Amino acid sequence: MLKYILRRIIIFIPTLVAITLLGFAIMVSAPGDPVERMVVAAQSGGEIGSQTANQVEQKIYWNKKLGLDLPIFYLSLSTQAHSDTLYRMYDRNEQTALDRLTGQYGNWDRISAYFHSLDRWNQAHSALRADSSTAMGLSIDRMKEDINESFFETSSLKSTYSQAVIEAKFAKLAELYSAPYFGSLRERLAESKGLYEEMAASATPWKTYIPALNIYPNNQYHRWVFGDGHWLTGQGATFTKGLIRGDFGTSYVTKEPIHKVISLKVFWSFFFTVIAVFLGYMVSIPLGIHAAANKDSRFDRVSTVALFILYSMPNFFVATLLMMYFANPDMLAWFPASGVEPLRGFAADAGFFEKWSGRLPHLILPIIAYTYSTFAFLSRIMRSSMLEIVGQDYIRTARAKGLSERVVIYKHALRNALLPIITVFANIFPAAIGGSVILEVIFTIPGMGNEAFSAIVNQNYPMIIAVMTISGALTLVGYLVSDVLYATADPRIKY
Amino acid sequence: MKKQFSFSAYAWGQFKKNRPAYISLWILGSLAAIALMAPILANDQPLFCKYKGEVMFPAFSFKTSYEIKDAGGKVERIQPDIAKWKQMGLEAVVWAPVPYSPSKSDYLNADFKGPGDKQMFRNDKGQMVEMPTRFRHFLGTNKKGEDVLSGLIHAARVSLSIGILSMGIATLIGLVLGALAGYFGDNRLVTTRGRFWTFLFGLILAYFYAFQVRADKLADAIGTGSGALILNLGISISIFIGVATLFSFIGKGLGMLPFLNRKVNIAADSTVSRLIEILVSIPTLILILSLAAIAKPSMVNLMLIIGLTGWTGIARLTRAEFLKIRSLEYIQAGQALGFTEARIIFRHALPNGIGPAFVVIAFGVAGAILAESSLSFLGVGVPPELVTWGSLVNSGRQQFSAWWLVIFPGMAIFITVAVYNLLGDGLRDALDPRLKT
Repeated sequence: MLKYILRRIIIFIPTLVAITLLGFAIMVSAPGDPVERMVVAAQSGGEIGSQTANQVEQKIYWNKKLGLDLPIFYLSLSTQAHSDTLYRMYDRNEQTALDRLTGQYGNWDRISAYFHSLDRWNQAHSALRADSSTAMGLSIDRMKEDINESFFETSSLKSTYSQAVIEAKFAKLAELYSAPYFGSLRERLAESKGLYEEMAASATPWKTYIPALNIYPNNQYHRWVFGDGHWLTGQGATFTKGLIRGDFGTSYVTKEPIHKVISLKVFWSFFFTVIAVFLGYMVSIPLGIHAAANKDSRFDRVSTVALFILYSMPNFFVATLLMMYFANPDMLAWFPASGVEPLRGFAADAGFFEKWSGRLPHLILPIIAYTYSTFAFLSRIMRSSMLEIVGQDYIRTARAKGLSERVVIYKHALRNALLPIITVFANIFPAAIGGSVILEVIFTIPGMGNEAFSAIVNQNYPMIIAVMTISGALTLVGYLVSDVLYATADPRIKY
Repeated sequence: MKKQFSFSAYAWGQFKKNRPAYISLWILGSLAAIALMAPILANDQPLFCKYKGEVMFPAFSFKTSYEIKDAGGKVERIQPDIAKWKQMGLEAVVWAPVPYSPSKSDYLNADFKGPGDKQMFRNDKGQMVEMPTRFRHFLGTNKKGEDVLSGLIHAARVSLSIGILSMGIATLIGLVLGALAGYFGDNRLVTTRGRFWTFLFGLILAYFYAFQVRADKLADAIGTGSGALILNLGISISIFIGVATLFSFIGKGLGMLPFLNRKVNIAADSTVSRLIEILVSIPTLILILSLAAIAKPSMVNLMLIIGLTGWTGIARLTRAEFLKIRSLEYIQAGQALGFTEARIIFRHALPNGIGPAFVVIAFGVAGAILAESSLSFLGVGVPPELVTWGSLVNSGRQQFSAWWLVIFPGMAIFITVAVYNLLGDGLRDALDPRLKT
């Protein structure tokens, strides 16, 4: 048995790796630039990032902290034309522009020369001072405005890749530079324009049709899984310890480590799931047995129909109905409408009993909503598996022996009828985790489901992926547990 | 002459005997009819009307404006989608059974007017009067004064089409993968070393030329609109298939050379089973939510997401069925006759192995509709302006006194899901009498 469990755990590993790959793929393809978000968020918060006044420095800091200055994966399929170091750019827009330019012209060294000339041109603006001596008799305000415009246009050139737009911007700047005070910037314009034309003239688009395979031992996925220290021992990690050491990265919203958020939230989700599964089994097993033992009796017919109705009811509908009837001052205000605790909280010296009796009214409606679907599902399975067993020959033999119905059902039939209900344990567990998203949102329970939902609304991808990975791992454990239970219940099964 | 026994006729007879399932087939038919005819059943534009001598069919027409000349030669322009048809004093008119459109506000009855509440109406003389029975909001309105019944009718379209189309995608994937896994198992899909490696290399190159080289064009197409996107995706997919086929042929040739002609076993069964295991181990709703969070909210994306995550059940059953079928005599006969594997799988084995899949498909549609309504209840993955059953229930959560916003759409979801579940039960009993409960 122990050998079997060990073997199963080893088989888990590739599945878990595949789940992390799936999660990582979703995170990487998420829209938006996390660095932009972090820089905006940092300006209002008190992170280290905000102490460095310069925005570029902040961007570089967050790029490093989130690991975005690394290539995405171990392998990357690229073209001969594309540079294999483009990922080092800290500005996503400029990165895209360079990527697009490469796709158009295919000559990386020319493109890079052009881009560097834009950089120099942009930086040359800092040498310009607008005062009466440099303004050459023209309005100083006008000069300031012109310099600002020129600065803005040259920075936006760096993230432009459409030929028409680039040429329009060059023309506009050339017109702007007819003013006398631009001096050396005119040379910069001529240089960039020359390099641009050279780039267009010496285009080698055929290079984009030849594939190239790049290998990066150090990449975002590696860093996400193993951290940025030593991959096995985790020593020397500065920003992240990696998934295998329980570090899921940084939340985009609170900028706190995700494992901290999760450890705060996991209790309530776990509490409700366990209660729902437990109560579900407690109710459905006797119900299913009773219905099957008295097939076609009134109890059987009524319970079958009722269970079918419950089974087909969407859980958010039931939860909303429960709230509408039992937590609504206009109807019956029996239970509080939201949360898991009284709003005012508990006194500091409140005992265990006092706390839970205060919480109880908050818990009843959610528990009903969590339990009913589990129990409807289980009862249906229990009844049908019991019916199948009762029709078998050995039950007929038991009856023919003259055993009482009670012994036949509870001693001979039950043990075998329990088998299918044990196997669905593996399905119920993840269903309860997934279903909890909706129920936690409706009942405002501060658990993982609610956290996952707000992460989706706020596009907090590391959090979403953490929830996905954790529930995937839990499901695998659920499968293992159900298989072990199966073997325990059925002596015919040997591993 | 004695009639031949046919399994499908027998199954249909069994199915008909199952009253609830048979009735649910009828309910399903009417739901589908409602969904198909939604624009005729609930529309705020008249189906037919006569205005100043001009005959119009606004509900059926795609015209963006009508120009009507009166006796004096003055031209009046009517824009059918924003015209106040009910106040125009039409000479003759036939209204849709529900004379409201789903997301258009009736400001006089805004702010949660219930079915029994006093509703107001502005007649063609401009007077405020109590609502005539013909124009009542029989199932009430929401906060913005949108008619609930009309929303229900149009949302039937969304739910049914997402349910059926996403399951269509899932069925396609599930049947093909399940059939391959079951038929070939782990050691019957044999090819030559040359062909295997050439084809694998070809797939990578096909991906490169179809999607990587054209990545910029595809990205631009996403911004331009669905027409350009479909065109560009079509080009990419054709390139992919073209390159892959080319390399398959090259591989066939290379496979005849020495060393490269050694046999290679492709473990089809293990590959598919692992894939199923991975998908099954992630809670469906969380996976769908994560995918919906990165995709642009749209009905097509939702369909794709639900379809691409929902094929595992079908694949498992088809696999099990094919494991049984592949050792039957008629398959051996087909092989002996020299039929291609594809012909044996799709022409001979699939029609016999498809039965159990129907049961899973029926339950799957129920699941897909539940998933769609759960997502639209949470407001994830569906465009915010789209009225769905789930979004209606959610809008009722803001105001519990507006019970009609919760009960009616909730019941609509419940009935649809229940009908599909009953259908699944009925199919299971009809196709496999041993499982009858």
